[in-house]
Amino acid sequence: MKLSGTFKSWLGKHEIVLLLIIVVELVLFQALGRNFLTSGNVSNIFRHSAEIGILALVMTPVILTGGIDLSVGSLMGLCAVAFGMFVKVYGIDPLTAACLTVLVGGFGGAINAGLVANLKLPPLIVTLGTFSLFRGLAEAFTHGSESYSGFSEGFLALGNSDIAGIPAQIWIVILVGMTIWFLVHHTTYGRSLRAIGYGEEGARYAGLPVKRNVSIAYIMAGAVAGLAAVILVSRLGEARANAGIGYELLAITAVVLGGVSIFGGSGNVSGAVLGWIALAILNNGLTRISDYEIFGEKVSSVARELSGLLTGLLLIAALALAICMKTLAARRSAKQT
Amino acid sequence: MKHPILITALALFALVSCKKSDDSGKLTVGFLLKSKGNQYFVTCEKGAQAAAKDLDIDLRVDGPINADPAKQNEIVENWITDGVDVIVAACENKDSLSTALRKAKQAGIKVVTYDADAQPDARMYFANQATAQGIGEKLIDSAADLTSAEGEFAIITGTLTSANLNEWIDAIKARQAEKYPNMKLVGIRPCDDQKDKAQQEATNLLSANPNLKAIVAVCSPGVPGAAEAVKQAGKTGAVKVVGLGLPSENRAYVKEGVTQAVILWSPEDLGYLAVHAGVALAKGELAEKDAKIFTAGKLGELQVEGDSIILGKPVAFDKENIDDYDF
Repeated sequence: MKLSGTFKSWLGKHEIVLLLIIVVELVLFQALGRNFLTSGNVSNIFRHSAEIGILALVMTPVILTGGIDLSVGSLMGLCAVAFGMFVKVYGIDPLTAACLTVLVGGFGGAINAGLVANLKLPPLIVTLGTFSLFRGLAEAFTHGSESYSGFSEGFLALGNSDIAGIPAQIWIVILVGMTIWFLVHHTTYGRSLRAIGYGEEGARYAGLPVKRNVSIAYIMAGAVAGLAAVILVSRLGEARANAGIGYELLAITAVVLGGVSIFGGSGNVSGAVLGWIALAILNNGLTRISDYEIFGEKVSSVARELSGLLTGLLLIAALALAICMKTLAARRSAKQT
Repeated sequence: MKHPILITALALFALVSCKKSDDSGKLTVGFLLKSKGNQYFVTCEKGAQAAAKDLDIDLRVDGPINADPAKQNEIVENWITDGVDVIVAACENKDSLSTALRKAKQAGIKVVTYDADAQPDARMYFANQATAQGIGEKLIDSAADLTSAEGEFAIITGTLTSANLNEWIDAIKARQAEKYPNMKLVGIRPCDDQKDKAQQEATNLLSANPNLKAIVAVCSPGVPGAAEAVKQAGKTGAVKVVGLGLPSENRAYVKEGVTQAVILWSPEDLGYLAVHAGVALAKGELAEKDAKIFTAGKLGELQVEGDSIILGKPVAFDKENIDDYDF
């Protein structure tokens, strides 16, 4: 009785679906691709997706409140340019410049927060606006084509070296992940986010500081977008206005894939993390496949074109499977009673 | 219950019925495009494939499908861990890709760039499609040829701040001053790399300079733009149009006789050359620096200037040969 109860709750968990998907991915790519599960490639998988990872982590609280932030990718572009200017134009040392960049990101997030929380504008529209605004500012500062490069070796090491066998930037992802996990799952703040997502009016009548808590979620998202920009610049060695194009959608995809409800109110940080890992493996695995055949026609270039298609399939399959498993779990528990 | 997973797995298998490339000890070359959907690079790839066939190597072609500037870096880094022997790359973002190419060099991979160069310390050679001088001279020579080397001409450029276009324009001016003293440059107009704007500017040039004999467009949208303006002004044939562009964009105007010559290097030869150079480096047939001459298969002997291997003179496409080129 107890065992089947555990099985039931185990089966109903979205994370299990994602773990299954990750295993399927690993098996498939190991079978089809070249040198897939090698230490060098596994570290590439994480190194190349660290920025998406921390964006997905901070997107989670925003989506839990029933909001969305489409501006984080563009804000990365603005922050990358800001960082480049701090270091190259004003000669500030990279560490201080990184802190200032996070502040710039936080300020960008505060603009979203003010419009969403105080003016009660729909988050989709607000952040669609700042999506263009931030990128536009970044391009205006650099006249569209200027870029900053020639950063110090020490700074580039953040994006390109390992600490204790793990890519340096992954330690930052872990730190951000622990913080967000603690905030969402172990504080009253985290619980209030869900309450707001379920029903904002209700949360307000219950005496929750809705405005403040929603604002914090957007400001965090902005600040971490600044951090992501610093990580990206250190990996590429160049700060340019086109940094982070499309990253907001990848981060949102990871979060939704992770079982966080897009309407707000429910979801786990661990789900978002697994969603991110599943996407990162897919993105990398496809580059390991070349000389393949599509419908009998030989193609010598890699299967990159399939990544969009397979991301879509993955998202739909994961959500469908999760619903199937939930239904099954519900049926089992109905039988037992 | 397990159906969705089964379906996903089946879909993966159906789409990608994969044959792992057998490790036959062949040299592996990664060929990086600026973008996968661009006809120009698709044509470069054709040349690379031809070289791969000549040299019996394993060629892996990849490139970004969107504007994410980090994608090229990721491809190169994946190639490094995959253990390719040679990387041949066209750089979208010069400085950021240089970071990844330096890593490749450190890992003992031979690196050659083509079309758009990296920082000099990030690669061994640059397969240079044409020198600024070569392009500028070819353009002004065709214009001079068509106008018997006299009369007014005007230039349509991309933007007035574009570094490489300005180099070409300087080469045009220098050649004209030296060889064609009876020609006179009456204006340089920017078209912001848009055909509509080029048409507008060309129309203005035509009405402001009734004696205009030729329009030289140094950016690819400028050529069809200028041609359309000349055609609509009823000056087909009276005002010659020459420019740097893709044959496919100009085919109709060339056939109507509005545009007389379109000039470009052959992207196919460029890809062919770059792969040949990379493989020669890996086989030790090409010194890692200070080579003077490089023999690239069917292209024969090519000059090496510093660390650039020069593809040679650009090709002029006209009514006679434009149908032979499909890019």
